[in-house]
Amino acid sequence: MIVFNYVASFALLAIGFYCTVTQRNLIKICIGLGLVDYGVNLLIVSVGFNAGGTAPIWTIRELTRQSFFVDPIPQALTLTSIVIGACTTAMTLSLIIKLKEQYNTLDTSEIRRLRG
Amino acid sequence: MSEIITQLPILSIMTLFLGAFVIALVGRSDEKLRDIILMIAAGIPLILMLILVKPVFFEHQVITSWLGGWEPVSGWAIGIGVEVDALSLFFGLMVAVMVFVVAVYSMTYMNRDDALQQYYTLFLMLSGSVMGLVLSGDLFNIFVMVEIMTMTAVALTAFRTDYPGALEGAMKYLVVGSMGSTCILTGIALLYSQLHTLNLAQIAAELPKGHNTVTAVAFAFLFLGFATKTYLFPFHPPEADAPTVAPASISVMVSSVLTKCGVYGIIRLCYTIFRYMDKTSLQYLICVLGALSCFICVTMAFNQHDFKRLLAFHSISQVGYVVCAIGLGNALGLSAGLYHALNHTLFKGLLFLTAGAVYYATGSLDLDRLGGLSKKMPKTCALFLIGAASISGLPPFNGFASKWMIYQAAFERAAATSNFFFVVICVICLLSSVLTLASFVKVSQSVFFGQLSPEFERTKEVPAAMQIPMWFLAVLCIVTGVFPQAMQKVLLAPASADAMNSFNYIGVMMGTSKAAASGVTAPPAFSAPIIGLWNPVAWIILLLIVTCAVCLVSLTADPEKKAAKAVIGPARDHQPAIALMDAKEAKYESFFSGEESVYSQVGGSDLFWGFKHNLRHYFKTMGDWHSGVVNDYTLYGLAAMSIVIAFTLLFIH
Repeated sequence: MIVFNYVASFALLAIGFYCTVTQRNLIKICIGLGLVDYGVNLLIVSVGFNAGGTAPIWTIRELTRQSFFVDPIPQALTLTSIVIGACTTAMTLSLIIKLKEQYNTLDTSEIRRLRG
Repeated sequence: MSEIITQLPILSIMTLFLGAFVIALVGRSDEKLRDIILMIAAGIPLILMLILVKPVFFEHQVITSWLGGWEPVSGWAIGIGVEVDALSLFFGLMVAVMVFVVAVYSMTYMNRDDALQQYYTLFLMLSGSVMGLVLSGDLFNIFVMVEIMTMTAVALTAFRTDYPGALEGAMKYLVVGSMGSTCILTGIALLYSQLHTLNLAQIAAELPKGHNTVTAVAFAFLFLGFATKTYLFPFHPPEADAPTVAPASISVMVSSVLTKCGVYGIIRLCYTIFRYMDKTSLQYLICVLGALSCFICVTMAFNQHDFKRLLAFHSISQVGYVVCAIGLGNALGLSAGLYHALNHTLFKGLLFLTAGAVYYATGSLDLDRLGGLSKKMPKTCALFLIGAASISGLPPFNGFASKWMIYQAAFERAAATSNFFFVVICVICLLSSVLTLASFVKVSQSVFFGQLSPEFERTKEVPAAMQIPMWFLAVLCIVTGVFPQAMQKVLLAPASADAMNSFNYIGVMMGTSKAAASGVTAPPAFSAPIIGLWNPVAWIILLLIVTCAVCLVSLTADPEKKAAKAVIGPARDHQPAIALMDAKEAKYESFFSGEESVYSQVGGSDLFWGFKHNLRHYFKTMGDWHSGVVNDYTLYGLAAMSIVIAFTLLFIH
């Protein structure tokens, strides 16, 4: 079952990168970057998954040798990564708003004053 | 006392971040208070790093601490660790010096802008993240720092939103930078899935046993991530854009400090953690990437009309040298790479600051408009010449010493392995160095010498507060160049030794028993002797080779073809009279054609027009490659990703 997660995460990565390479619209590039982010997040969460494990919320007294739970570290990493991803998206969108004001277009093939 | 010493690295990171937040709170109302906080926040890390020099470099200690006192339990790291060995401190010291210099410079340079509390908040966050990256001992922390670094650098690049192209440069930097961050995160996820730890020392300890295909792919992703952060070929176009449009103080941070974080990551990854550097295939990969960025970016610099864009391309080229030297895989090569990294930080910082001074005084960075500024800004001109001599590798400045060491390391490597590949690398480096010199002749001609344009008649020298940081860097450029032996002994040898000594790196952090059980062995005693700076015999041989090459080229060239080219000339179709001249007269056309107009400054792009005309196809192809379309840049990145991953699976794994 978990294999499906890995396939999905790399598929998301591929779609995201495909989006950033082929789409000329800046908003779509932003969506592509977002998809890449979600792909990696899915990968990290899947890495820490143990089939049949419970949520990793325990007090010291409840914890025994038999307790079986999913790995909490990847979940913490994913949370951090989601927050960072949200910041990246916000940053990209704010830049896009400013770019639209200055260049009056969202087409990357027209936003190329810096070249050569 | 030792208890306090272990807390110094974390304090230096905290001071910078704390300074950022305090400035955000109080900086708006009181400018004097803001500057005082900035000086304190930028000065304390420098002092702390200097205090650490004695225990780390002279007593060969490794400073470690576990945040919150979470020590490892039965050989497993559960807390976040800070581990400062000589390699980390070497980069930390470099970062601290540059942050302080840039902070002092910014106080005058930025005084015509508004919203400065935001500028300083972002600047201190950027500095803090860079500092955190080089001092951290935890892989995920490194990722977080990389993200803060990218985001603040993007925001600062676009700080002067009305500067032409600022937003565009920031956008491209963001898209390609995000690709790099994604690579690092994917690498972390794959590595964690196999080894179940994020601590660098523990990863190094687990790898000999846990090594498999997935970790090899993880290595490829991490390597790509750090290569993106170094802005190596083919990830380099945004690195040329961002410093062009950012304020000069931020150009310094982006191009001389941030690229070093990537270099640090590559060294740490390849030498300490994965220890793949003894594989010839990886040496090939790193050397080829380095040599390509070295050569392509130095030729790209010839086509530039913007002062800072030209410097930015040279910056990537010089980082290419550093990466080449690291890729050699021997002790001398690593030392040479570190030496050139240090020197590049100093002279590129100096050059960008002089570019900032020119912009501050004239309001222009256009090489075709500027000219003759040496009369108006003699001190800035002198500073620029020191920087230019350093980057072009003229003795006795620091660029010469480190480039010499790189050539020597490459030859030593070629002799030891009798592999012709390393000779080729060395020749490419030499050629790029010559082109760098040529390119800086062009810049100094078109900015500081030549004829002064009437519109800059009233230009004044920049204030002393801006000159002091530049003089400081200029003095450092000379000092580090004059005493290469001392540099090697005090700074470079300990740093390279620590980078290669995984046994000690694991042992200090996780306990010696863990290191012994991991199967990592302590390396033999470190030795990388540099044979004196001046080796007259080598110089004579070099001179002979160059003379032979020149003779060969001039003998084999076709005289008729040359004459035909002289008649056509570059872009002079509007002067049909020239075509009527015979070939002999047309030869002098370039010297006399300018006299028609009163103002006959030779433009920055015209000084090497013959050279550029002969190689016009190459330059046109290169210009088309750097198309300015962000989709193309991501495509290059993606192509590099697939090639490196395939290469790793086929040859390195």
